[in-house]
Amino acid sequence: MQSGQSGHQESPLLSQTDAELVLAVNNGQAAALGVLYDRHAALVYGIAFNTLGNSQEAEDLTQDIFLTFAKRSSYDPGRGSLRTFLVVLTRSRAKDRLRARQSARGVLNRWQSMGQQDSTPNLPLEHVFQNEQSQEVSSALAQLPDNQQQVLKMAYYEGLSQAEIAKRLEIPLGTVKARARRGLLKLRQTLTHFA
Amino acid sequence: MPSEELQLLIAGYVLGDLDPEEAAEFEQLLAQNPAIANEISQMQVALETAYAPPQLPPPAHLRSTILENAYPARSTPLSANRRKLLSWRSALEIAAAAVIITLGINNYQLRQTLQTAQVQPPQSEVITYVLNATDAGSAASAKVIVNPKDLEATIAVQNLPPLPPGKVYALWTVVTPSAPYTTDDKKAILTEVFEVDERGNFSQTVAVPKVYRFEDLVVKVAVTIEDANAPQKHIGSPIMITGL
Repeated sequence: MQSGQSGHQESPLLSQTDAELVLAVNNGQAAALGVLYDRHAALVYGIAFNTLGNSQEAEDLTQDIFLTFAKRSSYDPGRGSLRTFLVVLTRSRAKDRLRARQSARGVLNRWQSMGQQDSTPNLPLEHVFQNEQSQEVSSALAQLPDNQQQVLKMAYYEGLSQAEIAKRLEIPLGTVKARARRGLLKLRQTLTHFA
Repeated sequence: MPSEELQLLIAGYVLGDLDPEEAAEFEQLLAQNPAIANEISQMQVALETAYAPPQLPPPAHLRSTILENAYPARSTPLSANRRKLLSWRSALEIAAAAVIITLGINNYQLRQTLQTAQVQPPQSEVITYVLNATDAGSAASAKVIVNPKDLEATIAVQNLPPLPPGKVYALWTVVTPSAPYTTDDKKAILTEVFEVDERGNFSQTVAVPKVYRFEDLVVKVAVTIEDANAPQKHIGSPIMITGL
């Protein structure tokens, strides 16, 4: 190995954990960002496309996510998985773009129809994501108590923080955590099979 | 099978809701029992299966665009850093035209090539570069199939041995001395950096430099072994090359 090489790689890039790769990216290693892209771009792009509805904006957002990540990652590998971090970040930025798009459209409509009441109906954001769920997933979810489903959906699907969920539902933070974790545990047991 | 208490902690990690004390505890548990990583994956899969929209591979060019923009150019204009190419491209187009006209470069062939490229579309849809190993005993081979119109290429490499940590393979485009593109002192443009899988194969569609629109300007395509943290230094000699 050359002197001056930052870090101490025990294993080839491809077999490194996400946490190790993030460290390498923060040290400026382009190859590590490439591996992270190969692992997670389809997840990010899938969410972007699902929310924004067209490939151009989905590409822009995907690029935005990975470039932000390369420049100043606020991801802490000790606190949570990288994939969930990326999902929540992508979802949040996509919603920002949707809001910007809708408000731009709203301004346009006000110009075009001065004085008229008619304005573009603002779709509730939840209706934008219409996932067709497989039979397996539907029945797995149906096995969860409603209150667990609700919290999981708000945390992961809508990207709300647990504090925000606690506030909206007017329940303690500890209850939010317990419901989300138990719900996920139940899903894991139902959807995946023990070896 | 981990205890329910541990499984709930793993669920918390996957959901990203560990508080600092739980995070410290989890880090310890993970260090003591690396098999927990498998449980984390299972939990992650369950969460995504239930709540994430379908994964979609992005268009092929996005990968190179992101990598090139992630680490933008820093210093000397003559470095072979491929990442510089995007920011230099429009400057070079202007510079190339200016150089040819104002300095009157006596390179009739170059001028003809550029004019021909502007007037006529490329004859074939794709150009295929076949690379063979410089070591006669090696079974390594590669094909680079370029679409000059889209400036995209499919790279397919076979039978290249996996490298030790800290090293990567680099694909170089070697151009004629008079070509008006930024190259290193070996007249090469760093085109792709890659690793092979455990079978010695690599396959990817990537963006390629604009020089590929002018077939006559590309002299060789080669693969070398470089340091992973500075492939642009171009310290390796070709282990695979066209025209053998």
